[in-house]
Amino acid sequence: MNRTNRRRSRSRRRTPPAPAVQEKEYKGHQGNTRGHHVKEMEATRTTLQETMTFMTALAYGMEQMADRGANGMAFVAGKKLGAKLAETSQKTDDITQALDTVRKLLSANHCNWGFETFKRKAQPTLITKGADGAEKLELVFRDCMIRQSLFRYGHVQKGSMCYMMYGFFSGALEAILGRRAVLEVTHAGQNACLKCLTVHSKES
Amino acid sequence: MSVQVTIREEACRGCQMCVDVCPTKVFTYDDAAAKARVSGVEDCIACLSCVYLCPSMAINEAGYTAVKNFYRDLDFSRRMERFL
Repeated sequence: MNRTNRRRSRSRRRTPPAPAVQEKEYKGHQGNTRGHHVKEMEATRTTLQETMTFMTALAYGMEQMADRGANGMAFVAGKKLGAKLAETSQKTDDITQALDTVRKLLSANHCNWGFETFKRKAQPTLITKGADGAEKLELVFRDCMIRQSLFRYGHVQKGSMCYMMYGFFSGALEAILGRRAVLEVTHAGQNACLKCLTVHSKES
Repeated sequence: MSVQVTIREEACRGCQMCVDVCPTKVFTYDDAAAKARVSGVEDCIACLSCVYLCPSMAINEAGYTAVKNFYRDLDFSRRMERFL
């Protein structure tokens, strides 16, 4: 074997041929038949992840360009969505019933956006009424997709994405209650957020 | 859900950051001891802001539901799998 051939054979030995890429059948951790469900769930999660990436990038870009105007834009978008989803819902005057309707609406639209009402120990009732007739109640958001998106990309809370949520609840509750509703972020935490819902009287 | 909040007294520096950040006024400041105290744990929503903010990591919370980090990148996790 001459020198050139020896070199060729060495290089062949050093770089073994790449194995054919074979897609492994996903069978779950215990190799059970629920594997396809896991695969399906992962595909959904990946889709959700891509949407989150897109949404957060869009919101961040919008905040850079439009500054505070971004909040207004996100609010209007959220409000339109909320009003559209709730337009055929049953109308009521009761706030807790309206919140239940919103919860059902979110669930019906495959939206995992859980929230719960919050009453402080010193507070006598869940809903407090102000001097101007406005009714107030506090809500706690635990598993919030907006917070998750923001943390994933290291963005600050209480930005335009939170305003979209504010708009969504405002639009949906206005459609159900027929009164002006405002959802303010009292506190944005790492594991939960506290928000104050104010429903104004029909006269105001 | 019953959240338990505890402060490690020897670690607390009395900076009052937990008192300021808590939206539901779970903490009060003890002037005599110059330390924060848990006074209204019933109102705790487990936002964990105090836990993250405390500079001496003196606050501990238990009995709450931690939000699952579903945002983790699956591709990245798969790549990491071979090192684990």
